[in-house]
Amino acid sequence: MIEAAINLGIPLVLLIGTYLIGSAIERSHYREIRIRELRSRRFPTVNFRTPPKSWNVEDAEMVLGNVVISIDYFKRFLAGLRMLFGGRVSSYESLLDRARREAMLRMKEDAFERGYNAVINVRIETSRLASSNRKGEGTAGVEILAFGTAVKFAK
Amino acid sequence: MEYQPRIPREGINVTDRHPLAELVTLVAGICLAVVVIATAAFVLVEGLIRWIPPSFESRVFGSLWSADLGNDSDDPRLAAAAALLERLASHWEENPYPLQLAILEEESPNAFAVPGGAIYVTRGLLDSVASENELAFVLGHEVGHFRNRDHLRGLGRGLIVSLTLSALTGGSAAESIPKLVTTITQSGFAREQERDADAFGLALVEAEYGHVAGADGFFRRLPDAEADLGDEFASYLATHPVSEARIEDLWHLATENRWSITGELTALPR
Repeated sequence: MIEAAINLGIPLVLLIGTYLIGSAIERSHYREIRIRELRSRRFPTVNFRTPPKSWNVEDAEMVLGNVVISIDYFKRFLAGLRMLFGGRVSSYESLLDRARREAMLRMKEDAFERGYNAVINVRIETSRLASSNRKGEGTAGVEILAFGTAVKFAK
Repeated sequence: MEYQPRIPREGINVTDRHPLAELVTLVAGICLAVVVIATAAFVLVEGLIRWIPPSFESRVFGSLWSADLGNDSDDPRLAAAAALLERLASHWEENPYPLQLAILEEESPNAFAVPGGAIYVTRGLLDSVASENELAFVLGHEVGHFRNRDHLRGLGRGLIVSLTLSALTGGSAAESIPKLVTTITQSGFAREQERDADAFGLALVEAEYGHVAGADGFFRRLPDAEADLGDEFASYLATHPVSEARIEDLWHLATENRWSITGELTALPR
């Protein structure tokens, strides 16, 4: 009886706890992302390989924005159940969406702070970080890298 | 072309669905799947048991346990208990099992039957029984499990349910579910089987002694033992109906069959 209570109780407490904490963090992160996106909306980030002819580019440099994320217990549990039935793993979607937008923002903010006027040739890459336990079969996290060429306009 | 400042649109890459709503849907789906799997397991096992003759069962499992059996033969009570088991089993005429008895070095009083015809009793049980009649009922109860083939049933159901579920979850986040379901299903239908085994055990005791006095002794002491032993007993009680209800069932059986509930108790050889 006690064993069953522990077997059931600990995961339940973890689920509730990580749900409350995780969703609070997600809400505040989204709030922050929206504000920063609004603030940086006038800074062009495009995926043209070369600058438009009208742009008079005087300087260029590669800029990077990098984010490493991991998943919480609740989202993992939800995804685990979802893997039985198939379909959209919505608990991962919001996490990756946040990470992608955060990586873009970091890249843009870095370029802006260093006096550039735009970023062209923007690319986004995702890679999985293998976990050190379970012989590298598990996933420790996901890295999202946004990179591009920051350009400065001649005055 | 002029650059138009825009902000990213929401809801393209993220499904607008509350995580708790998804959790409820998925858990409901799992529950349904568990019910289906468990039902299939029961039907399958019931069907299979008819096709597994006891002789085949004891050939397969007998070799598994025989290595364990007889290891603790230094306990002088083993021979007496084994003889008692033989006498009891002689009243079950069509007994197809070569019954064997072994003592398990454990404090908590318990007994269980394993496939193939082996019965384990704990040293704690031998220490606690007050009369031979009491031990006879416990042994008879386990023989009853063999007659109803509950051990095979339990094994088969547990195996199918846990195998299917662990195959489904693939050892992922839902790891704790198979263990939980196995426990629940096993204790869930065990109660009825225990009652049937009690009835058969009592009939054997009556056939042996001519009365059923002392048979309920083990259950009578359970509440005290429970207090002493704490949670070790909780697991025993989880699969065995509460003592009081079982004692009542035993009296009910005895009166129904007009079995004498008084008689001389046989002492245990010490």
